[in-house]
Amino acid sequence: MRYLLIFALLLAALAGRAEADERQGSVKADAWAQYKSKFLDPDGRILDDANGNVSHSEGQGYGLLLSLLANEPADFEQIWSFTRRELLLRDDGLAAWRWSPDSDPHVTDINNATDGDILIAYGLALAAERWGRSDYSQAAATIARAILDKTVVKHGGRTLLLPGIAGFSAADRDDGPVINPSYWVFEALPVLDRLVPSPKWQALGADGKAMIQGMKFGPQDMPADWVSAKTTLKPAAGFPREFGFNALRIPLYLVRSDQSDREMLLRLQRGMSGPQGELLTRDLESGAVRATLTDPGYRFVNHILACVLEGTKVPEDSRAFRPTQYYPSTLHLLGLSFVEEKHPECL
Amino acid sequence: MKFPVIAFAGVTAAVIGIAGFADGNHLRKGLGDFIASAAPELAAPFGHAEGGRKGAREPGSLDVAQAGTPPEAKTPPADEPPAVDESALRYFASQGDTARLQAEISRLRALYPNWTPPDDPLAVPRNKDVQLEAMWQLYSQERYAEVRKAIAERQTKEAGWQPPPDLLERLDVAEARARLVNASDLKQYETVIQVGARTPILLTCSEVDVLWRVAEAFAETNRQTRARDAYLYILKNCDSEPERLATLQKAAAALPYAIVQELLSYERPNASGTLEFESIRDDLARRFVAEGEDDATLAVDPKYLQRVERLVETQGTASDALLLGWYHLRRKNMSAAEQWFRRAREKQDSASASQGLALTLIDRKAPEEAEKVLYPWRDASADALATYMAATANLLAIEPPVVLTGEVLQRIAQETIKARDPATAQQFGWYARTLGQPQTALQWFSTALSWKPDDEPSAYGLAITRHQLGDTAGTAEIQRLWAGRSERIARLGEPEKPAAPGQLPTPPVQGPQPIAAASGQPAVAVIRRQGSLPVRVGTAPRQVVRRTIGCRETVDPSHLSPQAALARGWCLMDMNRPLEAAQAFEVALRAPASAVREDAAYGQSLAYLRAGLTSKAAVAATKSPQSRARVAELQTAILADRAIAAFDAGRYRETLIFLDQLRRISTERTDLMVLRGYAYLNLNRFTEAKRIFEAAAATGNRDARRGLADVSREQEIWPNK
Repeated sequence: MRYLLIFALLLAALAGRAEADERQGSVKADAWAQYKSKFLDPDGRILDDANGNVSHSEGQGYGLLLSLLANEPADFEQIWSFTRRELLLRDDGLAAWRWSPDSDPHVTDINNATDGDILIAYGLALAAERWGRSDYSQAAATIARAILDKTVVKHGGRTLLLPGIAGFSAADRDDGPVINPSYWVFEALPVLDRLVPSPKWQALGADGKAMIQGMKFGPQDMPADWVSAKTTLKPAAGFPREFGFNALRIPLYLVRSDQSDREMLLRLQRGMSGPQGELLTRDLESGAVRATLTDPGYRFVNHILACVLEGTKVPEDSRAFRPTQYYPSTLHLLGLSFVEEKHPECL
Repeated sequence: MKFPVIAFAGVTAAVIGIAGFADGNHLRKGLGDFIASAAPELAAPFGHAEGGRKGAREPGSLDVAQAGTPPEAKTPPADEPPAVDESALRYFASQGDTARLQAEISRLRALYPNWTPPDDPLAVPRNKDVQLEAMWQLYSQERYAEVRKAIAERQTKEAGWQPPPDLLERLDVAEARARLVNASDLKQYETVIQVGARTPILLTCSEVDVLWRVAEAFAETNRQTRARDAYLYILKNCDSEPERLATLQKAAAALPYAIVQELLSYERPNASGTLEFESIRDDLARRFVAEGEDDATLAVDPKYLQRVERLVETQGTASDALLLGWYHLRRKNMSAAEQWFRRAREKQDSASASQGLALTLIDRKAPEEAEKVLYPWRDASADALATYMAATANLLAIEPPVVLTGEVLQRIAQETIKARDPATAQQFGWYARTLGQPQTALQWFSTALSWKPDDEPSAYGLAITRHQLGDTAGTAEIQRLWAGRSERIARLGEPEKPAAPGQLPTPPVQGPQPIAAASGQPAVAVIRRQGSLPVRVGTAPRQVVRRTIGCRETVDPSHLSPQAALARGWCLMDMNRPLEAAQAFEVALRAPASAVREDAAYGQSLAYLRAGLTSKAAVAATKSPQSRARVAELQTAILADRAIAAFDAGRYRETLIFLDQLRRISTERTDLMVLRGYAYLNLNRFTEAKRIFEAAAATGNRDARRGLADVSREQEIWPNK
């Protein structure tokens, strides 16, 4: 164990432990405690309570990231234990995307979901830096390499992210490659680049941003959840043509990555903000509102846009976190953490 | 179980650096060997990431373990009592869990030979550390994520606190085990092998299930010798009788005959004095005989054949008789095969038994009985139908023609039309001609051509019949359509030369005449009768004048000259008697002229292919150098047969290998594309399956469309929030 100690201390020193500690807790302890009491089971699994309590690689990735932002290494360890043991099973080093409590084996589809892989690798990479854990950084590097090798592809001069290994490529679909713009977790790319350096990360980020900029579908010029990148970008066949539950997190990822384009954010804000700050999803054919989402987690995406674009304060009742459902509550905590860190003036 | 922990000491000493673990006496060349040599990259320092200490792992640590020499410095001085972590012992004692307690005592003894276990383990004082006690409890309840959490929590609260190395080690192993099992359930075999390689402590007699899974992963990824090593390891080292038995059963299902024979040599007598695998010997014998059915070159030990023969006697099972029938059929032991198929049918008639019997009957030129036997089973499978149609083609092709009842002719005609079988339709044409019904012949030849537009013999049959009936325009029409494609059709109506040997056109290469034709048969009798299976590639004008007369009688070809034997071989091929043809070609292979040998080897290969003896066809093809076109043709047929056989045997990876080889030499036929699709599907390679089915379906192939539907049924639609 002596080796372990020395090694850990060395790493901690390298990563700048003092600095890490100062940054702790952009997710507040109380909010995290509420989140995990509702969505984290003792086995380290993040439950998607709106979908029959299944789990996704994405949810595990969010769980890792949020426990890191809450500076809770013990919870992080617990979530990671499940993630590795139950999902990180694929021969290629990526995670199986879905785990169902009622099936045996629990993984019913071995395909991956690339945003899940990115979130897991990102959480691990940050945790390795903050807590000096070389095992985390090794695991993150393995996933990052697999992401680069298996899911980052060049097509038509663009660097793209395939949403999954199976089913989206040019070979798999007539309108392929099909991408999901909300799988670009922009803030993760430079972190993964530090871990596994490659010019592809930068290209992926730049082309992702440019593509989202170019996705002007429907009367409101909004991005779609699923987009064919075969030639000119258009909503993918076989998926609902909508700005929906996937795409609504695009602005969150954009502002969190710190390089948001004001024009684009204004356009998104016009398309997705209801009169009372509700979040609107839209049919991209007619421009009609598909759903008016009032959950505080969804509304928070609009609050962030208002804060970043106009300096508007986050309404009082949205500053406190109360868990509702897995997905909006996750967005809520990511949003709160962002405002806490980068725009305290809005609180 | 002799010693539960293989290579544990070495690995642990090298990896974790705990003094006092290593003991050369206990270090054995472990199972890590076979994994490391299969996947040497795994010996690299990529940690399995359990706990923070993996960063201290050094490159090649696995090799250290395998070398069998633990680092000297880590061995404690013999007189110093080792620092033994007894917390697990205490926990199990406090729980009264005597089984785990005993296991822990054996483990500690193995690790620390100088350690003396407490006299009364149950009286060992409880762990005073309540939190640690709780961690052990979570561990024993397999709540590993919570143990991890508890450790990390305590480390946050108590600076400098470290969990007992034993707890961490066990936690790592337990999590790795769970992950390995999960990956194995999902057929992620590379992950299985990786985790196994990084956790050699799992590869022990106390974890036979893990060993089985690792062996399966090797077998499934075409590393049979590695799989063999794993099974062999169990049989050499592990003592549990049920596990040993199951090991052999699994190995027999996964590995080829020869390797299983080797494993069987490690059989031991069990407690009651009988051999331990006696109880499954019957099933093993069946399995081996069945394997011999797939591979005609496999020499199955006669003792297994005799065992299955005895089973037929004692248990009277039709399936065992069937096994023997097919086994002998594959080896051309036709009379033995016939006998077993008849036995099988006596017990219980079935499609397989009737089909096998029909094949032997066709072979001994009794197609009439073959047709009768197989008629009720013709729709049982595609194979049965193909055999039935072959029987009917053969039956109609017999010369002089067999007199068939109206009922039999009627049902053959019906089946021919239903199956759209050009070969039997063509034979109906010739049959009708022989019986003096040229109008009926015309209809059958036309029908055959409509099903198989490039069927030259049918076109020829149509042309000569029209010609005979004085239909000049009709004859000319055929000649126009076949211009450049069939010399004999083109020459129809030209003044005939007497068919005397000396006046026949000679083949371009060889000097001697192909055949000394026995009689002055009219040239019109030059009828090529061919089955639907492999046919000869036209090379030289020779094909036009090849005489098929003179092979109706059964003759021992070994007395013929190579030239005559060659001609007889082709004649027999035209009569669809491939096994006799192969014999004749064998004689022709003795010719001094290389051109004759080439032709003979080619003919023999085609003959074996038509008889379904792929391996023999492959051998025959190599008996003389062949032209590129012929090599490609034979290779194509052989590989296609092998791909289908591999698929039928459930060996999907092998199927793909054959199909890939095939694709290198010719474009893939639609039916083989469908086969490829199903091979992918069975390997859960949905994307590839879908792609190939789509391509095949685009040609209007119905099987491919069904394949597409099967893929979407297998594949869950995702993702949707």
